[in-house]
Amino acid sequence: MNATFDVVEGLTLVNPVGRLDFEASAIFQKQMEQVIAEAAGRSSQPVLVNCAALDYVSSAGLRVFLVAARAAKSAGIRFSVCALTASVKEVFDVSGFSRIIDVQADLDSAKGVLAASRSA
Amino acid sequence: MIERWKAVAGVTAELQGLNEFLEEFWKEACLPAEGAFPFLLALEEVFANVVMHGTVGTDPVPVELGLAFNAGQVTMTVKDAGPEFDPLSIAAPDVEAPLEERGVGGLGIYLIRELMQAVSYRRVGSQNVLTMSKPVP
Repeated sequence: MNATFDVVEGLTLVNPVGRLDFEASAIFQKQMEQVIAEAAGRSSQPVLVNCAALDYVSSAGLRVFLVAARAAKSAGIRFSVCALTASVKEVFDVSGFSRIIDVQADLDSAKGVLAASRSA
Repeated sequence: MIERWKAVAGVTAELQGLNEFLEEFWKEACLPAEGAFPFLLALEEVFANVVMHGTVGTDPVPVELGLAFNAGQVTMTVKDAGPEFDPLSIAAPDVEAPLEERGVGGLGIYLIRELMQAVSYRRVGSQNVLTMSKPVP
């Protein structure tokens, strides 16, 4: 797996690509912790993970999302994921993570929701 | 009926080869690609547990992966020579818990139980034998 991190339009956009398995999860977790710390330093900008190119997530990968969502919450940052592929969505739904992490349908609607929440 | 086996050492780097083995089996049995995901997931969850918790002395645990397709059903068997461990004995996580209270313990085996039709564990001699099956259309 690899991931790009872009600061765009007042938010940090994370684009993980490939398989988030137990081998990939340790480094991705460190990257996410860094991203959230940096976003907290930029007027608490939201962090959005675009999962459109994330093919696979296991329980080790879910743990990264859980830790990131908690870190964001304690830093007062909005944390969302969007555009889940079929298998990633299945894992989020079965594990109950769809209820504890903000899941948006696609990138455009996620950006819209985040923009609205900032201006609210 | 197709049945294939592969033996590896229980070290992280072997997961990719096991995934490729599963994908080759999938093609050989002419199964639809989208049906492989629950098996790839279950394979990682089981293998990761063996890698993290099992050693034989100072050596990695020998692991055998078996795949069979018969009568519309795929059966995956993972045998490991690690210490006796029944993953089905682990309590299910509280999937209704809020973010702050949510843990990840037991989540891997929970996913396996939810995504497979049948899961069973046996200790046979010095091996843990976990069998998972599901019909694949």
